Amino acid sequence: EQRVALPPKPPHTTFHQPSVLVPANPYLNEEIPSWLRVYLKASSEFDNKLHWDLFRLPQLEAFEAMIRRLLKEDLEEIVNSYEAYRIALTLEIDRRRKILKPVDPEVMKQQALSQSHETKV
Amino acid sequence: SLTRQPEEVFDVLCKLGEGSYGSVFKALHKESGQVLAIKQVPVDTDLQEIIKEISIMQQCDSPYIVKYYGSYFKNSDLWIVMEYCGAGSVSDIMRLRKKTLSEDEIATVLSDVLKGLEYLHLRRKIHRDIKAGNILLNSEGHAKLADFGVAGQLTDTMAKRNTVIGTPFWMAPEVIEEMGYNCVADIWSLGITALEMAEGKPPYGDIHPMRAIFMIPTKPPPSFRQPDQWSPEFIDFVTGCLVKNPEQRATATSLLSHDFIRSAKPCSILSQMIMEAQEKRKTQQQGISRPDLQVPEASPQADEDEVDSDTMVRGRDDGTLVPSAGDTKSSLKGEFESAMHTMVINTDDEDEESTMKRYPTDDGNSKYCPPFLDRVGKSDLEVRSAEEFAKKQNVSHDVSQTKNVTQDVPAPTKKPPGNQEAQQPSQKVEPAVPPASKPNLSVQAPPPSPQIAMINHNLIANLKHIYNLPPLDNPPIRFQRPFSDGEFEFLKFLNLDDLETRLSKLDHEMEQEIDELRRRYQAKRQPILDAMDQKRKRQQNF
Ligand SMILES: Nc1ncnc2c1ncn2[C@@H]1O[C@H](COP(=O)(O)OP(=O)(O)OP(=O)(O)O)[C@@H](O)[C@H]1O
Ligand SMILES: [Mg+2]
Repeated sequence: EQRVALPPKPPHTTFHQPSVLVPANPYLNEEIPSWLRVYLKASSEFDNKLHWDLFRLPQLEAFEAMIRRLLKEDLEEIVNSYEAYRIALTLEIDRRRKILKPVDPEVMKQQALSQSHETKV
Repeated sequence: SLTRQPEEVFDVLCKLGEGSYGSVFKALHKESGQVLAIKQVPVDTDLQEIIKEISIMQQCDSPYIVKYYGSYFKNSDLWIVMEYCGAGSVSDIMRLRKKTLSEDEIATVLSDVLKGLEYLHLRRKIHRDIKAGNILLNSEGHAKLADFGVAGQLTDTMAKRNTVIGTPFWMAPEVIEEMGYNCVADIWSLGITALEMAEGKPPYGDIHPMRAIFMIPTKPPPSFRQPDQWSPEFIDFVTGCLVKNPEQRATATSLLSHDFIRSAKPCSILSQMIMEAQEKRKTQQQGISRPDLQVPEASPQADEDEVDSDTMVRGRDDGTLVPSAGDTKSSLKGEFESAMHTMVINTDDEDEESTMKRYPTDDGNSKYCPPFLDRVGKSDLEVRSAEEFAKKQNVSHDVSQTKNVTQDVPAPTKKPPGNQEAQQPSQKVEPAVPPASKPNLSVQAPPPSPQIAMINHNLIANLKHIYNLPPLDNPPIRFQRPFSDGEFEFLKFLNLDDLETRLSKLDHEMEQEIDELRRRYQAKRQPILDAMDQKRKRQQNF
């Protein structure tokens, strides 16, 4: 029977700041065991060989929360990549438009002055 | 009687609207002749959690909070019986009139909302879902907070359903970051709601929710698109709400003495707006009930998404109609559908119409439904049982207080709005239930009870749903990113049309990639969830 290395004891820590009614996610800063990262990246072929039932419930809860955190991290990475792509595309489109239709620099200056907002990306 | 079916107790009259969890109906309480609203929510999980939630909500007794009378199970539906607010939600009113609120109207609504929030916050309760859609107005123009507690609790308990759920736009940065939060999280949402009422949609409302999630904590607080259109008092009010550090954010109590609120006019100024919305509602319902139109259900909202193609106009005191940026609909779905139709960039320009750039994203196919509408949903998350938590916290659970709620609906007591808080329940209406299950009407702020701690614990899962995707039936198609990270030189060699096409496809492509990621994670997570399920069941059996 296959065994998976036991993870560190799950934290049962919620240090209640008096002003915080809903405690922070206790797994926010918990170190994620490297085998869990490997498991997530690996092909699913052998996933059924893992006996998750050998873990205790709190341990499983910890893994589950850690997986969610990793998902969030990966999501952020995707969103950021597309954000860079979006900026590159808009800049390039703006550049082309200006080439196609050159604007009087004086008008542009006026426009820039009248815009009180920051650049939104 | 305790065993009566809900349809014996109520006449369900018509549908009022639809939300993420279910539909809301107007109903008549037969015995008392009271008009009520009933929210019907399909639920397929253990309902103990919800029942306890509702019993706690029932204890709230403020004229500024929609009164909850009780709940029933009917087949697999949960019926939540509550006070009826004849004018509907503020977002309904905006959508019906295709008009945002004026500054005076906003001040009047916010003044009631703040009293509701102060009531909750003094009792250490967090609403967690403040937005225009959850501010209901009665026909006199009194604003009341709806969906307190239910939203979060249902989100967690509906875990096994693949439903579309709440949105990140109103969420405070600390909530998104899961750093722990308290009542002032509601104040952030209130600031967003103020902008929503002024501009027709929340900041970032027209961008992909996944982008918004990462922007809210990282960007400076949002503000008005056109600051010159609003008074310094209003701007200062919103600025006080939208402070990223919760420690420095205003509180409900402090905002009640803010100049903007102190000079708020009486709720009678809302009657014009309410009347107009009511008229629109009527004509729409007439249109729907015409047999030749063959609309299956009298659902004004569903119908509206079809007809509502105009852009909203700003409710300015001077009467000028200014088109707001983008297509403005307050229903989440409508908003995103329209956001996907026209991706608006740089919308905070001074002259929106002339400088706004629109990129059609779906080649004119207006029925296209962006995939994230299905996927900003949640999957099979476990809700920690209240008992388990109570055990951990070493508190005994008073079940007697809550065990009757499933079948008991106290007859609503008729009270004039205004000073309910000081009133005793009216004796005119016979209570339909034993007194034990009557809502607690005490006016004192109770000390934080273990029960309240418990809700908050259960509600911590607020964010879980956003990152979850249930496995779908079809095997995923491997998605190929249309660029490689940080390498954008190639764009110089494309023509303008290609560039625009790429930009129009961007959100959809990001969607697909996110989709793939979620599937992979969900597949990996499932065996762990199954093991947890098993262990919990075994624990329950001993
Ligand atoms: N107590 C009530 N009295 C009158 N109308 C109501 C009442 N509760 C809800 N409604 C109507 O039903 C609609 C749907 O409400 P519901 O709470 O289900 O969804 P929502 O608030 O729009 O979104 P969410 O599901 O995110 O809360 C509201 O927009 C409102 O028009
Ligand atoms: Mg609601």
